[in-house]
Amino acid sequence: MRTDYNSERPLIMHIDLNSCFATVEQQARPLLRGKPIAIVNRRTDNTAIITASYEAKALGVKVGMKFREAKLLAPGIIPLESDPPKYRFVYHKLLDIMRDYSAHVTMKSIDEGVIDFHDTSEVIKGRELIDVGQEIKQRLKDEIGIWMRCNVGISTNRFLAKTAASLHKPDGLDVITAHNLRDVYSTLKLTDLTGIARHNEQRLNSVGIYTPLEFLDADPVTLEKIVFKSIVGQQWHQRLRGWEVDDREFDVKRVGRQYVLDSPRLSYDQILKRLHHLCESVGSRLRSQGKAARGVYVYAKTYERQYWHASFVAQLPFYTDQTIYELARQLFERAPDQMREIGVHCYELASIDDAQLSLFHDQIVRERHRTEAIDAINQRFGDRTVHSADTLGTGIYVKQKIPFGSTRYL
Amino acid sequence: MNDELFLNERIKVIAAFGDGLNPARPIRFQRASGREVEITEIGLRHPTSAGKRTVHVFDVTDGGADYRLEFDSERLTWHLTMEADHYAN
Repeated sequence: MRTDYNSERPLIMHIDLNSCFATVEQQARPLLRGKPIAIVNRRTDNTAIITASYEAKALGVKVGMKFREAKLLAPGIIPLESDPPKYRFVYHKLLDIMRDYSAHVTMKSIDEGVIDFHDTSEVIKGRELIDVGQEIKQRLKDEIGIWMRCNVGISTNRFLAKTAASLHKPDGLDVITAHNLRDVYSTLKLTDLTGIARHNEQRLNSVGIYTPLEFLDADPVTLEKIVFKSIVGQQWHQRLRGWEVDDREFDVKRVGRQYVLDSPRLSYDQILKRLHHLCESVGSRLRSQGKAARGVYVYAKTYERQYWHASFVAQLPFYTDQTIYELARQLFERAPDQMREIGVHCYELASIDDAQLSLFHDQIVRERHRTEAIDAINQRFGDRTVHSADTLGTGIYVKQKIPFGSTRYL
Repeated sequence: MNDELFLNERIKVIAAFGDGLNPARPIRFQRASGREVEITEIGLRHPTSAGKRTVHVFDVTDGGADYRLEFDSERLTWHLTMEADHYAN
């Protein structure tokens, strides 16, 4: 295990469009520029804020806050319903720009990505990465619009590059190297570090670590055996020193959707129709990843803040909307009253091409052909051109929303 | 306060098609009422798809209100689909 700081040339660049959705809306609608705005999924007082503009953040508005609370902090704050195609377009523009500099680009979410310059051309490698970062900032303005801003961080690993990108929001460009590493840590709190939230902070506090510098100087054995109780402790020891431990891709483990019900007065049948709509959406996402599932998990949150859930694992994999809904519906028979939010996930995923699926009798083969035909029609003529009659009226409520944590469906 | 008015109004548009990063630029449009709107800035142009059909969405302003224009690249039609003309401070 390396105990020194990584003093190699920093060749990892993290690019982050902070307040991305709000910035894109301000770009699209010039009269909103300089005003506090909030992106929400539904324009009601009770809705949670997905993204706030910098002007709103300056007044204390935070992501996740109820719009009602935000109005108290920022009177005149403007709510805008999220517009996924717009954000998807900006995501692809950003990705195109980043790919001009390296073949090794990883998008971490819809508004942030990493360029690895280790294996890029000599021409690009021969340039100062600070200049490349400035050029990317300018290209965002030229190719998307003048209001677009991004934070750029450069370092020797993904963790420090992301940390660098968070130092001077909303339009920063910072480099962290072995030389300024300690200086940077001395300005941060433990919870400023990506991956250290309240729970991990408490773990660190329990062994007398209260600052990033103390974390950096901590004994790796203490981190591994006492604080994190796993190899994660060693990884932190390396990560904090600028060595790469996060260059990994994760498989899709589950596919799901949730929905905050549009009214507290919905009947059980109306709720089931919305569940059915979610199942169709999950089925479509599942198949778009070439996956079939064996497990279904459903949950409901109630107005009394109860969390109810149920799950089922089948012997054979499935992937049709009908099967997902049928299993979810059966589980939902035990759901509580007074539901506020519902959700459905598929898990235990396997490739849809697994031989098992086609070894069984004709019915499964026919079902597969029918599903593929419907997916082909929907791809050609638009999402939900063909769907079950049961969900005919649900589209105005259960709209397509932007996936935050994953870029798989963009 | 955000006064968005969602519409589906067929409009007449004068647009320039050139080169560069933004090769299509609506310049002025006439609403069904006959009122003409001079576009002072195109905020963003992004494509959306209705199945395999591409509809280009132009978010524009005349300095007094924001508008959303949609150009159907298959049918070659323009629609005004949103107008937002008042933002209280």
